[in-house]
Amino acid sequence: MLEFLSAIEASGPVEALKRSFYVYPLVNALHILSIGALLTGVFLMDLRLLGFLSGQPFTPFVRLMRRLALAAFPGAAVTGALMFGVRATDYVANPAFQAKMALILLAAANVLAFRQLPEPRDGPAGRALAILSIALWLAVLVCGRFIGFL
Amino acid sequence: MKSGMPRRARSGAPFVVLGIALLVAPALAHHGWSWTDDGQFRLEGTINDIYIGNPHATLDVDVEGAIWRVELAPPSRTIAAGFDEDAADPGDEVVAIGNRSRDESERRMKAARIIVNGATYDVYPGRAPPA
Repeated sequence: MLEFLSAIEASGPVEALKRSFYVYPLVNALHILSIGALLTGVFLMDLRLLGFLSGQPFTPFVRLMRRLALAAFPGAAVTGALMFGVRATDYVANPAFQAKMALILLAAANVLAFRQLPEPRDGPAGRALAILSIALWLAVLVCGRFIGFL
Repeated sequence: MKSGMPRRARSGAPFVVLGIALLVAPALAHHGWSWTDDGQFRLEGTINDIYIGNPHATLDVDVEGAIWRVELAPPSRTIAAGFDEDAADPGDEVVAIGNRSRDESERRMKAARIIVNGATYDVYPGRAPPA
């Protein structure tokens, strides 16, 4: 495992990122942009499920927000993986990083559970999962921010 | 679609919870100096590993068998201070002057100045003691 992480740290693109004056902050900015888009999609979708934003037509609005979130997630994952790679052996031991990864897995499980519900999924179970989703993604955000502070 | 659902009062509760979580979160940090102790700290040892890269350059320093992590500045700033990959090698003696972690069980400090091979590098000149 450690050898694998060390190999990531030594790989070409990661090595370049390590030393770059411009690219690292830009990757960082793209990570923030992706997170902004992802959480916007998730939160607005969840709020609509919870009965807020009732001026928005339910089905098209929820579909649009879900698309936004699903499009943003790979961006967040790729930029995050690049920044992780720069000091993989350090981050893997970082408690905030570990918590963040566990929370993303829980959030993914929450998405899968939500998809098991019959449409339009705004019943009590759907609303409970929407609240859980907001809580999980907020926790992912906070843990992510804390990686640099632990 | 959801016409039968009772209307809920709008609530800022999630944001309040987030705000509280941020306020009570421990003030530990790589970023900035808030995680460090106020008093000046001096560490002497042998360089075990040198990392000049993002997000911060670091030295791993062996002090009587215990490895300390010495955080420097971001790479651009560290290199601008003259400390690049040619400045030192593992095995060299180093003196790091700065502030140690407030958590005394943690072998971690942030250096404003390092002295290696007779050369002085002020990676945070504003924080380095007078020469």
